[in-house]
Amino acid sequence: MKQLIRLTVNDRALEVAVDPNATLVDLLRYHLGLTGTKKGCDLGDCGACTVLMDGKAVNSCLVLAVQANGRTVQTIEGLESAEGLHPLQQAFIEKGAIQCGFCSSGMILSAKELLDRMPHAQEPDIRRAISGNLCRCTGYQKIIEAIKDVAR
Amino acid sequence: MSDHRVINSRLPRLDAPVKATGRAVFIDDMSFPNMLHAAMLQSPLPHARILKIDTSRAERLPGVKAVITSKDAGLVRYGVSPARYDETVFCHDRVRYVGDEIAAVAAVDKETAEEAVGLIKVDFEELPAVLTIEEAMAEGAPQLHAEYPRNLSAEVHQEFGNVAEALKTCDLTKTTTFKNKRQDGAFLEPPGCIAVFDLDGRLTLHSSTQSPHYVQRTLAMVLGLPVGKVRVVKPYVGGGFGIKAAVNTGELTACLLARKTGKPVKFIYSREQVFMLCRARHQFVHRMTTGVKKDGTLLALQHECYLDGGAYSSFGIATVYYAGSLLGGPYKLPNMKYDGWRVYTNKPTCGAQRGHGGVAARAAWEQQLDTIAEELGIDPIELRLKNMMQAGDVTCNDLNMSSLGMKECIEAVRNASGWASKKGKLPRGKGIGMACGFFVSGAGYPIYRSDTYHCTATVKLAEDGGAVQVYSASAEIGQGSDTAFGMIAAEALGVPLDCVRVISGDTDFGVDLGAYSSRQTLMTGHAVKEAAEEVKRQVLEALADELKVPAADMDIKEGRIVFKNGLVDYSGIRSRYIKEHRGWSDSPQEDALTFREASRIAYLAKGTIVGTGKYKPPALGGTFKGAAVGTSPAYGCSAQVAEVEVDLETGKIVIEKMTDAHDCGRAINRTSVEGQMEGSLAMGMGEALFEEVKFDDRGRVINCDLAEYKLVTALDMPPVETIIVESDEPNGPFGAKEVGEGAIMPTIPAILNAVYDATGLRIHELPLTSERVHAALKARGIKQ
Amino acid sequence: MILPKFEFHEPTSVAEACDLLARHRGKARPLAGGTDLLVNMKKKVMSPGHLVWLGRIPELSRLERSNGTLWVGAGVTVSDIAASEAVAKAVSALGQGARALGTPLIRNLATIGGNIGSARPAADLPLSLMVYGAELVLAGTSGERRMPIAEFFKGPGLTTAREDELITAIAVEVPRGYSGAGYLNLGIRKSQDCNIVNVASFLELDEKAERIRTARIALGSVGPTPLRSLKAEKLLVGAKPDERLFEQAAQAATHDCTPILDFRGSAEYRRAMVDVLTRRTLAMAMAEARSRT
Repeated sequence: MKQLIRLTVNDRALEVAVDPNATLVDLLRYHLGLTGTKKGCDLGDCGACTVLMDGKAVNSCLVLAVQANGRTVQTIEGLESAEGLHPLQQAFIEKGAIQCGFCSSGMILSAKELLDRMPHAQEPDIRRAISGNLCRCTGYQKIIEAIKDVAR
Repeated sequence: MSDHRVINSRLPRLDAPVKATGRAVFIDDMSFPNMLHAAMLQSPLPHARILKIDTSRAERLPGVKAVITSKDAGLVRYGVSPARYDETVFCHDRVRYVGDEIAAVAAVDKETAEEAVGLIKVDFEELPAVLTIEEAMAEGAPQLHAEYPRNLSAEVHQEFGNVAEALKTCDLTKTTTFKNKRQDGAFLEPPGCIAVFDLDGRLTLHSSTQSPHYVQRTLAMVLGLPVGKVRVVKPYVGGGFGIKAAVNTGELTACLLARKTGKPVKFIYSREQVFMLCRARHQFVHRMTTGVKKDGTLLALQHECYLDGGAYSSFGIATVYYAGSLLGGPYKLPNMKYDGWRVYTNKPTCGAQRGHGGVAARAAWEQQLDTIAEELGIDPIELRLKNMMQAGDVTCNDLNMSSLGMKECIEAVRNASGWASKKGKLPRGKGIGMACGFFVSGAGYPIYRSDTYHCTATVKLAEDGGAVQVYSASAEIGQGSDTAFGMIAAEALGVPLDCVRVISGDTDFGVDLGAYSSRQTLMTGHAVKEAAEEVKRQVLEALADELKVPAADMDIKEGRIVFKNGLVDYSGIRSRYIKEHRGWSDSPQEDALTFREASRIAYLAKGTIVGTGKYKPPALGGTFKGAAVGTSPAYGCSAQVAEVEVDLETGKIVIEKMTDAHDCGRAINRTSVEGQMEGSLAMGMGEALFEEVKFDDRGRVINCDLAEYKLVTALDMPPVETIIVESDEPNGPFGAKEVGEGAIMPTIPAILNAVYDATGLRIHELPLTSERVHAALKARGIKQ
Repeated sequence: MILPKFEFHEPTSVAEACDLLARHRGKARPLAGGTDLLVNMKKKVMSPGHLVWLGRIPELSRLERSNGTLWVGAGVTVSDIAASEAVAKAVSALGQGARALGTPLIRNLATIGGNIGSARPAADLPLSLMVYGAELVLAGTSGERRMPIAEFFKGPGLTTAREDELITAIAVEVPRGYSGAGYLNLGIRKSQDCNIVNVASFLELDEKAERIRTARIALGSVGPTPLRSLKAEKLLVGAKPDERLFEQAAQAATHDCTPILDFRGSAEYRRAMVDVLTRRTLAMAMAEARSRT
């Protein structure tokens, strides 16, 4: 039986009915149309589905939609502001940190959690912060450079 | 610096903004009204006869719209190489691996489709299975395919020069056996597709593919449709690395279900299914004997190789050839004998993966060359410098190194890594090693025998002027090809990149064999350049008529018309343009005639301005059997130095630094070239240290997820010093050649050689897990 | 991957949670961070009919030090433990285990209660807790009880908790001065790994810092449950700590484990690594003990 939940997604208060066995990633992607959150493994191994829940980076495939009741969720779509792209988005673009792009949303959000907490994070912190986000294209080098650039 | 205006720079990729903001649409982000979802029934057994398939309960499940088996799909045989079409969409009499497809369901949602699959009842009679090369080749072994006896999917026997004679004259010969492990492509995006039939029976397949062209042809052949009624469109693709270059059963299944139901059908592979689809790097067992003179001159290589192919052939015919032919360079090697056998086993099918066929061979050989250097008392770098080929050299197997910055690559990594102060001088447990490699810039021939162009491109100017559209069927899969082609078109046309829009990945735009064998930059690049130059010619001709200035006296640079012989009065064109755009706020103000105005004039004079380009390599290579595999219009080459630390108690290896140089001809986009080098290196590092698809004794993949199939993480990856070496490739557009695969070649052997430097151990089996290294340390009685 | 269907409960008190577990006895599972349970459910290894989510019970998320005891609520996330100064100061090896667990994304979801309750032999947190002599607080419909953490584990995924019982908190007596601990784990790569071997050691010295008064060593991934190495501990107690002693103790530890071969590693390698990691964690413990005199 569906359950009514209230949550804030990218600054929008929403009320949606969800099945208990629906995951947050599926709610975001297939019901709210926020397909910027990717699904690479659905088992919490790849990090492509990373979103910020109450400011913490989590695998949205390991969170039930009902668990998001009352919480605040930020996805890649919520990073832009009236001033334009988030500095991390800009740095990822300029530093060549994006190849296929499938890990980018999660990567950027993990980096955001870090920089929100530690604005001048150093390389070891950066590597640690994105160590749950797999990338098969870049070898991480340019991703790390992009995050370092923003942390400077 | 070059005098290029657009290429050879570090412009941001065209697709980066949509990908950084989550706007880029990948296959699972798409949906259509009334779309159904498909699920597949796959074999739970490695080898069995199918006695009976009962789909009646599945069909009765509410929400199920169609259930199909081989009865619906037919038994048209397909594959990758027409020489070995050994697959059908569904198994009808026999299953050959755990995961072999038997039936499929389309239903209103994925949950229902999966439930229905669980209701299909199949009666099997289990057959003995062969799970290793040894089992498959044993006398009296169970056979997978009656048509291919002894479980041989393919065998190759080649000799160049006279190896037996040459070995007799060698001062030193060295024989080693080496094996890697089966890999998984492990792209972040699982493949998927949506098939849509329109009311006229035309099929459009949206698919996460590296080769819309090959998929189009296979769909037409298997579904019995005219090619003209099949269109394949590629959305953004989340990596492929070779695996997505072959048509997959999911694609065929979605099309069959869409045809049967009359509704769009979506199928997305699960991560577990990706491991069963496989089509990734084979397990190779190499046995090599190399002979040299005292001074280090390479004389001969005798090479045998066995490939564990899995249940079908896929790209494997090419793989078994590449495993031999890609040792022809980058060293002068006058005598080479190669015998290769690709063996069917009851496991998922292997195929092509980055560095196709050559990666394990290169690892085996470059480690052996280090052993030889040591025994001869020669520095490994000196041994390589002594033997390396130069531009213009041709290998014994007829591969022409039309450009080759091998020396520059070796010297670059030697200097940047501080080799001289480290080699042989590091404390125990620390080591440095190097290796080289080379790779094709596109296969010399298509996978099916044909005189087809390998690619076509169309450049069209917007009728209103100033905007350039590049159309191609090439496949942007993350490597940056769209940006490269945009830059090539902009450079050739003389306009800034932001005037150019690239629309690719659609078979409606022409022929392009796709993103494999590192072919697109060189081949599609040629076609795009030709098309852009054709457009430029037309614009200048129209201007010539209008201004009465010979076309040869004009050029386009940075979006402006340049008059070579002084000022020309173009005020007539300008006032005409401004009149046409009354009320617009962006009238041209420049002190020069703009491309916008010029292209508008061209349209007004001639109608839509369209230029086309095409590319097909010239006849390449020798005349021996298999000569086609390994031929290419050009070859990239690379050298790498690895610095490692080995924990002598646990066996754990930490890569501390990598120095990487690659000759990519003229770099089109420098940032993208580095990205390919760094990504290749990471994949090679994973194969060297961690990655292995493991099976249980029932032929099931044990580690079929990304927790247990271990890619390198950001914590494992060392800092990489990336050095671009630029030769000017005569056969490449603007001198460009490959980087996407050649860059993986030196990684594994550089690490192996560094581990030897750190421990004194030559390890001949991958991956170098801490347990394997520990066992080797123990066997040698090495402690701390 | 679609999760099997279940009924979802979100109690707001421990008592309510226990009632729910009792009411759906045998069919209910407590859901904490979900990083283990939901994965198993997606893989269809488990399909409980009822999930009792503990995330709405405020009392489970306390982390505080009072009267010489560190109280860690079962619902405290692994990332909070990893970042906690109280943990780093009082029970550093627990913090080391927390930082070694999974990935940052997993650590933000996973809880200490879940890491203990799922009873995985390779888990990162129980070993340190064992060597610190931690006790679990279990609540059930018939009340609350405490047990040493070592008594909680029965086998892979199996515990001595009753079906209506929950771990509500972990109580660790803060070690006195002259004591220290260390935790190390060995996997294939540096992040996101299932351990091949993990070891925690704890040493307490006498007031002169001359002899070892208490020693506890716990071994992970080398038996059906986390194991104590009593043989090694016996060698250490009363002895003067030095490298040679630690080597002997580490050797002894290899006789106290029962590793099995699986696709992650052979029994032989695991045993050899028990030796190495025991020695190294003893050295870590000693270094910390010296720094806390």
